[in-house]
Amino acid sequence: MSHSEKAEIFNKNEAKVNWHDKALWFVREKRDTAAHKVKGWEELRNLASGIKANVLSNLDEYLIEFEENAQKNGIKVHWASDAEEHNTIIHKILEDNKVEKVVKSKSMLTEECHLNPFLEDRGIEVIDTDLGERIVQLAKETPSHIVLPAIHKTKEEVDTLFQEHLGTKPSNGNPEYLTNEARKHLRDKFLKADAAITGVNFAIAETGGIVVCTNEGNADMGAHLVKTHIACMGIEKIIPNEEHLGVFLRLLARSATGQPITTYSSHFNKPAEGKEMHIVIVDNGRTEQLSRKEFRSSLHCIRCGACMNTCPIYRRSGGHSYDATIPGPIGSILSPGKDLTKHSSLPFASTLCGSCSNVCPVKINIHEQLYAWRQIVTKEVKQPVVKKTILKITGVALSNRLLFNIAGKSARFMLKYAPRFMVYSKLNVWGKARELPEIKNQNFDDWYKVKRKNNG
Amino acid sequence: MGRESILKSIKSNKPELVELPEIDLNLFAEEIDILEAFKSNVKLVGGKLKELGDNEDIDSVIRELYPKAERIVSQLPGSNLRTVLITKETEPHSLEKIDLAIIKGEFGVAENGSVWVSENQFSVRVLPFITNDLVIVLSKKDLCLHMHEAYKKIANRDRNFGLFISGPSKTADIEQCLVIGAQGAMSLTIVLI
Repeated sequence: MSHSEKAEIFNKNEAKVNWHDKALWFVREKRDTAAHKVKGWEELRNLASGIKANVLSNLDEYLIEFEENAQKNGIKVHWASDAEEHNTIIHKILEDNKVEKVVKSKSMLTEECHLNPFLEDRGIEVIDTDLGERIVQLAKETPSHIVLPAIHKTKEEVDTLFQEHLGTKPSNGNPEYLTNEARKHLRDKFLKADAAITGVNFAIAETGGIVVCTNEGNADMGAHLVKTHIACMGIEKIIPNEEHLGVFLRLLARSATGQPITTYSSHFNKPAEGKEMHIVIVDNGRTEQLSRKEFRSSLHCIRCGACMNTCPIYRRSGGHSYDATIPGPIGSILSPGKDLTKHSSLPFASTLCGSCSNVCPVKINIHEQLYAWRQIVTKEVKQPVVKKTILKITGVALSNRLLFNIAGKSARFMLKYAPRFMVYSKLNVWGKARELPEIKNQNFDDWYKVKRKNNG
Repeated sequence: MGRESILKSIKSNKPELVELPEIDLNLFAEEIDILEAFKSNVKLVGGKLKELGDNEDIDSVIRELYPKAERIVSQLPGSNLRTVLITKETEPHSLEKIDLAIIKGEFGVAENGSVWVSENQFSVRVLPFITNDLVIVLSKKDLCLHMHEAYKKIANRDRNFGLFISGPSKTADIEQCLVIGAQGAMSLTIVLI
């Protein structure tokens, strides 16, 4: 199903769409307030972008340096070329440690690799411990946003879900009550877990350490209680030196939620006495994206979600309409690199307004890359006949002044005199759910000529 | 598969070397009252703040703030509030029912109200998360302006486990309503001395 078809399903509930739209715009506004308070915000973005560009140009060396330093500190480092290798490595570590129960904190990478079903099929219980992720896990869904995984769910839906799975009382969706019940439920899971899996926000080549950021404290509750901690990272999570965290931690939470920093920014450098720490470094298509000059900088992404919150299409179509682990504008430039045919509609899920690029803390030119993917998609993926024909006719009309004038005049004539059922027919998508503008007699050309004449 | 193939693939796909930019701290310098900025940001992130008065002592101030706390871990030297003693050997699960943990903060960061604490200040890593409430005692002299300064301060530390804590554990995962007290500590009070 294409993005627009899935978006249509999401749009069936108009009230929900309106709420979704406003809630995310509110987060965008909080981001603005937070960013404007920082002296040198634009310089921070330039620095972040520059550091990431350097990282990509020296990525192999940094990874080797990171591995060496991590190993010196007693951390075990693993490498996985693809999702399957990643899952197999993790399963092996769990098996070696006779692990039956795993708690997991937010990691888009493990979502991308479909780790949960892989482990569950092998008899291991995996509990997502970020509240939003736990909600979507109980609902047997996927996150619809990378920072706000359950943003598509109403509090009443969460209420029903918790009644069913956690045995809570009906509360009309009281967020405090529900969060507290989830806290109790997850505490129990943390205490009984044998191993913890976390993501990685930043991995520092210079020190071999990793930083994990959460607001809930779930990554730390998991990692510090168990004997075995496994952290999974894409190769692009590397930064050269620890001082660069100063740049990225100033940008990350402000761009994501408008907070000045996440509640917990945990720096793991060494496993605790008697415990094990593993890091799995994953490629899964990233080196291929690195080879694409035009799209390479998409690997700068620090997963803040700002481009989603600001995107007029994302806000009104919902994350699930993208049918990809990473939705929204950034997802729409990452996903076609993984499967062009499956994700061919995503580069078109944009107005190319450029708002995503404007808020991106690492200055990825997202809207330009969306445009560039469109060129590739139209060349390589079969386009619908109607779209192709219309674009062909438009091309001819736009390149011929006479035809252009005739087309314009007839369109205005039609809009003015044709009966409603014709103008607002299925063929005219611009007339869907909106009134078309009132038609004036003149076009711009005529108006301009008259104006010139009158002004002498 | 694995390491060699990833490194090989990066080598052949990476662009020409782009220079690493220098961080010019002049860009971020500000003449502000860092104590006031720190205090207002602690409140912004949902933390509580208590400034120790001239004739007050830490123990009684904390006792007043958390009168119901029974199982208390204090990692401050000379504290009389401690009811549970922990050491490096303490089994982390045994801290499940701790009501209050008191630890010393190394320094605070004005721009975001966070405090750097490290394993040197608490014997068991899970303590600041598993405790119901958390108190961090911090000297007013130990404040810095922003994260760039913060990383200079910890550049030569013993790298084991450490973190910036900014306010209590929180979530807004249910319809974007902010709820304090998710999986970590339900409250955080910074006692400024």
